[in-house]
Amino acid sequence: MPVWQVVLLVNLTLAVGLGLGYADWGRRADRLYQELEATRARVEQLERERAACTTGARAGEQQWEARGIVRAIFPRADLLVITHEEIRGFLPPRTTSFRASPKLRHAVRVGDAIRFSLRGAFRDATIVAIERW
Amino acid sequence: MRLFLLAASWVHLASSVLLTGAFFMLLLAGNPSERPTARRWERTIAVYSRRVLLVALGSGIACLLARTAVFEGRLEAALEPRAVWRALLDTRPGLIWLARHGLLVVLGAFLLLPADVRETRNWIAARVEPLVLGMLALALVSGSSHAAGVAPRTVLAVAVDVAHLLGSGIWIGGLVPLALLLRAASREAGADSRLYAERAVLRFSGAALATMIVLITSGSMNAFVQVGSVAGLAGTAYGHLLLAKLSVLVPVLVLAAVNRVRLLPALSRPTTTVGCPAMRSLAAFVGLEAILALVLLALVAAMTLTTPARHEQPVWPLPFRFSLDAALEGPATRWRALLGSQLVLLGTVAAIASLFVRRRRAPVLAGALVLIAVGAGGGLAPFVVDAYPTTYRRPPVTYHAASIAPGMLVYHEHCATCHGATGAGDGPSMQGRRPPADLRSPPVSRRHAGEIFWLVTHGIPERGMPGFENRLGDAERWDVINFIRALGAAGDAGRLGRVVEPERPWLVAPDFAVSVGPLAPGALRDYRGRRIVLLVFYTLPGSRPRMTQLARSYDLLWIMGVEVIAVPTDASSEAIRELGSSPPALFPVVTDGALDIVRAYRMFAPGPHAELLIDRQGYIRAIWKGDTEAMPEATVLLGQVEQLNEERNVAPFPDDHIH
Repeated sequence: MPVWQVVLLVNLTLAVGLGLGYADWGRRADRLYQELEATRARVEQLERERAACTTGARAGEQQWEARGIVRAIFPRADLLVITHEEIRGFLPPRTTSFRASPKLRHAVRVGDAIRFSLRGAFRDATIVAIERW
Repeated sequence: MRLFLLAASWVHLASSVLLTGAFFMLLLAGNPSERPTARRWERTIAVYSRRVLLVALGSGIACLLARTAVFEGRLEAALEPRAVWRALLDTRPGLIWLARHGLLVVLGAFLLLPADVRETRNWIAARVEPLVLGMLALALVSGSSHAAGVAPRTVLAVAVDVAHLLGSGIWIGGLVPLALLLRAASREAGADSRLYAERAVLRFSGAALATMIVLITSGSMNAFVQVGSVAGLAGTAYGHLLLAKLSVLVPVLVLAAVNRVRLLPALSRPTTTVGCPAMRSLAAFVGLEAILALVLLALVAAMTLTTPARHEQPVWPLPFRFSLDAALEGPATRWRALLGSQLVLLGTVAAIASLFVRRRRAPVLAGALVLIAVGAGGGLAPFVVDAYPTTYRRPPVTYHAASIAPGMLVYHEHCATCHGATGAGDGPSMQGRRPPADLRSPPVSRRHAGEIFWLVTHGIPERGMPGFENRLGDAERWDVINFIRALGAAGDAGRLGRVVEPERPWLVAPDFAVSVGPLAPGALRDYRGRRIVLLVFYTLPGSRPRMTQLARSYDLLWIMGVEVIAVPTDASSEAIRELGSSPPALFPVVTDGALDIVRAYRMFAPGPHAELLIDRQGYIRAIWKGDTEAMPEATVLLGQVEQLNEERNVAPFPDDHIH
């Protein structure tokens, strides 16, 4: 076989090998990584839903646990304003207002450091338990 | 093991470079056709490249084993298949090693093929293919080099490194085959290929010149990225290796210049002697150039195994350094520097002119040198200041309230008795004695932090200042230095008004931790590039009306891009509760570590209530101090914020460490 044909063959083999290698392993690795992330998020959500179920929540509701500090109490609007740490799978660290029952609102004062549980769907989460820490 | 790794790396790098250069030279020289000597040379280079390839593969395996031992921290790991497998498949350098050696194996297989290259396209294919494979294998070295660790602009750094490596491959690797060709053609029996050799050397000379430009440009860029400063060059192992490399490069360049300017033209002159003496001399010089270039590669291999200067603490080797600030301090020194620089300029012009005059060249050159010497001696003197081994050491402690505040306590305990409470040099123990330098004055504030660290550590015996090496720990000494810097900055803060001076950020706000309740603390620097910060120091009950006003305006301030951070001057952990909830103050109120922040910032803005406007880059732009009556109305404050929002020339973020 002439040398130029050998060269062509070697280069084609290298190019096709690299291309197929990426198309197979590279893309499969990307896909697996994305699936892993999605599955991890789903598992966390299911765990939250299970935790919510064990405390009497309705189907589809989740439960989050977080720590924070009470910044304001608005009795008429049933709201507690809390500066909280990151609530995994829900909110970054920031100051947020949450709905809370009068009983829970009366249990805390502005400035209290608290551990609290939120339950509900994403846009409709309510504080269901509070304890000072 | 490191010595073995160094030797293996050198042999591997050198063989990879020689391989690329050999194929490049074969292609560059062209088809020797019916010239027996040139044909013989081509066969010799083919055998030579196969041997070099074997060396490259062998040394590559040695490198892998040595790296495995270093990676695992055990000598015996080099011979454990599982450890080698892990180093190969679980690390980026390992994967790159696999790709490179895969290419070298393909290259080896190609070289072993029996090839009929009488037809031109076959000859070209047989020369280009190994060159491409060799260049790919060489270029991949950059994937696991220091350049791959540069961030950001990793791609640019790797591209520059690839250009540098390929340039070295073409230039250094081409020297050995060229020397062999010249030697063969310079013999009596090689007369048939002299024209071929002459053409090859002319082509190589042109290619080497272009390559040299690429090498110098990419080398300078690499040095800038990996070394970054004169201190890094003079005060680190990596910098010393780079200097050694440059010192070998200079004679190589001189040799290359002699070859190009003197010996190359001599090749085409008619010669009466048997053989060709000019060609023989050129062969010897090119061989010498190749040997020096291999020494150069040994230094490069050592550099790849050494931490880049940018990540090392430099140890300044000289007792002095040059400082532009020192020279521009007084009018007398300014004039001296100006005069000196003009003399140097005149001398340089005279020296260049001496190259073009035929008569009296020596006196003109001597005069030029005298002018340069006098100008440099007189003009440089004002630039010279004392320096110490730690002059360019980067402080390990950031410019942070948590460092300034303890530094203040250490200062008052150990330094204030001489330097005075404010650093003015009026301490009680200096009554009737020559006062020490004012720590807030420019000569001190312009000193590098590393220099003050040296003076605090070792003292100034001739001025009676003791060293604190045995009395204070490293961290305490750096805290004192941060405090001294804050003293100088606080003195300058007096120039800052109640109104933002447009486009003029200069006063760096010390960082501090923003701890709200028991939550994980943030930091002032977290707001950089995101929000303007209104830092409020308040004292209740006096500050209550102002805090109520701020709580009511918070929504509007937030929309304007402002975060309000409130710090109680009494550092109460119940600060949020004490502020109350009507109206609720929803901005961050520091409840932990407030004391350090208050101590550090009181130097800038004393009083029961003070407010500082800090821009998005982290510079203090306006200060309001006194009582709450002196604080800006909401409309005035919003006007200042608007001013900051409209600024177009964004200053760089300040360094977290003092210098």
